[in-house]
Amino acid sequence: MISDKFRRELREQAKLWQAEGLIDTSFYQQLSERYQFNTLETASRNRFLSILISLGGILLGIGVITFVAANWQVWSREVRVALLLSLFVAVNAAGFYLWRIPPSRSQNSNLNLPITIGRNKLLGEGLLLLGSLILGANMALMAQMFHIGGSSYGLYLTWGIGVLGMAYSLRLTSLGVLSALLVGLGYWLAVLDWSSKVEFSWLEVLVRQMPIAASIMFVPLAYWCRSRAIFAIGAIAIIFSLQVSIVQGLNPTWGAAIFCALPPALLWGYDDAIWPKVHSRLFQPTARSLALLFLASLFYFLSFHWLWRDSPNPSPTESDWVLLANVAVLGGFTVFEWLRLGRLELRRPKQKALDLTTSAIGILILASAFIPLFHLNFTPIPQLATFLFNVLLFLLAIGLIREGLALGNRQIFWGGMVLITLQLISRVFEYNTGLLLKSFVFVLCGIGVIAAGLWFERHFAKIPAE
Amino acid sequence: MGETSANRPSFTLPPEAKRLPAWRLWVPLLLQIGLIAAVPAPAVYTFMTGKTVVLQTAPVDPYDFLRGYYQVLSYDISASTNLQKLPGWQDLPKEKIYCSPGVVCPQNTNTVKAKTSFYVILEAPKAGTNPGRPQAWKPVRVSLENPGNLPANQIAIKGKYNGWQMEYGLETYYMPEDEREKVNQEISEAQRKQRQSFLVEVKVDKTGHAVPVSLWVRDRNYRF
Repeated sequence: MISDKFRRELREQAKLWQAEGLIDTSFYQQLSERYQFNTLETASRNRFLSILISLGGILLGIGVITFVAANWQVWSREVRVALLLSLFVAVNAAGFYLWRIPPSRSQNSNLNLPITIGRNKLLGEGLLLLGSLILGANMALMAQMFHIGGSSYGLYLTWGIGVLGMAYSLRLTSLGVLSALLVGLGYWLAVLDWSSKVEFSWLEVLVRQMPIAASIMFVPLAYWCRSRAIFAIGAIAIIFSLQVSIVQGLNPTWGAAIFCALPPALLWGYDDAIWPKVHSRLFQPTARSLALLFLASLFYFLSFHWLWRDSPNPSPTESDWVLLANVAVLGGFTVFEWLRLGRLELRRPKQKALDLTTSAIGILILASAFIPLFHLNFTPIPQLATFLFNVLLFLLAIGLIREGLALGNRQIFWGGMVLITLQLISRVFEYNTGLLLKSFVFVLCGIGVIAAGLWFERHFAKIPAE
Repeated sequence: MGETSANRPSFTLPPEAKRLPAWRLWVPLLLQIGLIAAVPAPAVYTFMTGKTVVLQTAPVDPYDFLRGYYQVLSYDISASTNLQKLPGWQDLPKEKIYCSPGVVCPQNTNTVKAKTSFYVILEAPKAGTNPGRPQAWKPVRVSLENPGNLPANQIAIKGKYNGWQMEYGLETYYMPEDEREKVNQEISEAQRKQRQSFLVEVKVDKTGHAVPVSLWVRDRNYRF
């Protein structure tokens, strides 16, 4: 894949060479044909256009939704319904038929040039996205016209599911992302909504079984669209809803351990090769980064001592079997993942990096499960638990730095640095220390970060770029 | 982590993807239209088949009148204090309120279990004396089941107890922006003078499901 930037520079250089007499006109022509200098302008124009069109589509969608609020009262109800539906169908149909027009390609372009996406395709996709926004506006307007005071979360969930169908059918990443965001938002509102729920309805079932439902809805969609964004949003929705299920459905003693350990274990153990017909590890890096992010924030929060000091007296709550089904299914899947990982480890010849990393993460996860369990079940250990979680946080940060160095990966390295700095500064502010020590720690952190950065960049320069 | 960075998959789809057949648009589009239609379907059914009933609204705090674009309405039959005098209240499932010591407790620690659905039977008023506006129907009893074969002047409306009041699905009434202020002023004035002068006309179908139709403020009818 040759970037547009390179072609642009090459064209400038080639013109210069031609002017200086290094190459003749025919050679310039050959270069021009091979690297398609004539499409350069259209490519950048297309990029600009795509930004404009998506921005315009979003603005239009917002405009349509605000239209809801304007409460148009001029026509009778039937006319309004017909108008809304025809607008909805027209926008979607126009979008689809535009989007379907195949992009034109010049005859002699060679294959490693970037494909210029046709303007029609972009416009079509923008219109389809707008159509999906109009779907939500239509539902809200219907509720308004018939004075239905339903819950807002029901609206978002239904809307998200409607968009999901379209995303599957057209294999459009943008619609998939929109759908995942809508369902996530709907679930978030449903969790916040403590008011009495409507009588037993499919929405309530969906909210209660969200971890399983989100897995079924978004993981296949992510593979279908080959989109990391959908996978990441879907995974966040699954993990969040799983934790809500654990909190609501389990008694606190075991719940705390599972709450801490299950999400990172599920994410870290995820491997695309579990599924048939998936041959490349598309999403494993995404899942593992999310697992690390989860562990880092968990350790950081649990390293504050006030969290442990006033630990709640666990009141025995009856377990909710419907919610426990979520935990059981995803927990079973996690166990299956880790057994598989273990089998793979045994079978493969010793490869240090991965081997060490996975077992280290496994130990961290087990520790994060065991400490709260011990604290709540046997005997409270506030000081020891705080200390242990600080150690775990420190180990995680050091591990990230080491891994970042080994792989030459800037992001991982800086993630570790940020964690260590955050830990130091938090501890200094948490405990009543003198100003002198505070200043000393700040100076130390500053010097450490600068030194590490300089040293790392030098070290990084030695690693050959992949 | 170690081995994944080496073989990065490329995320490009083949450029000349086959033209999608048209059903790939129309099938999900029909489903989406079904979703849109499902929102007002029960209300439309009730509107078509229901019987007109007039309900007395409860006084509202004028400052808590509007939320966004709709009127928050509550009715005489929303308050449990008005319902617990009626026959049939004793048969509803109860739950004990847990009272922590030292806190002032309500006299009646046995209340109806939250999230219970039951029916309130309303009776039509005797022949009207006020020609201008209709009169409110009065609640006569409550029942856990939907009573069949009611006399012609009675109807059952279904509600749900949310722990402090009843909800009938009639609590929101949307109004156009430009008329909201005027209607609200009318309502607060009317309610200051005479509480009975603000009524809501609803339709109730056989299953007890109800939809709001119009507002009666003094002798004027507002319908949106």
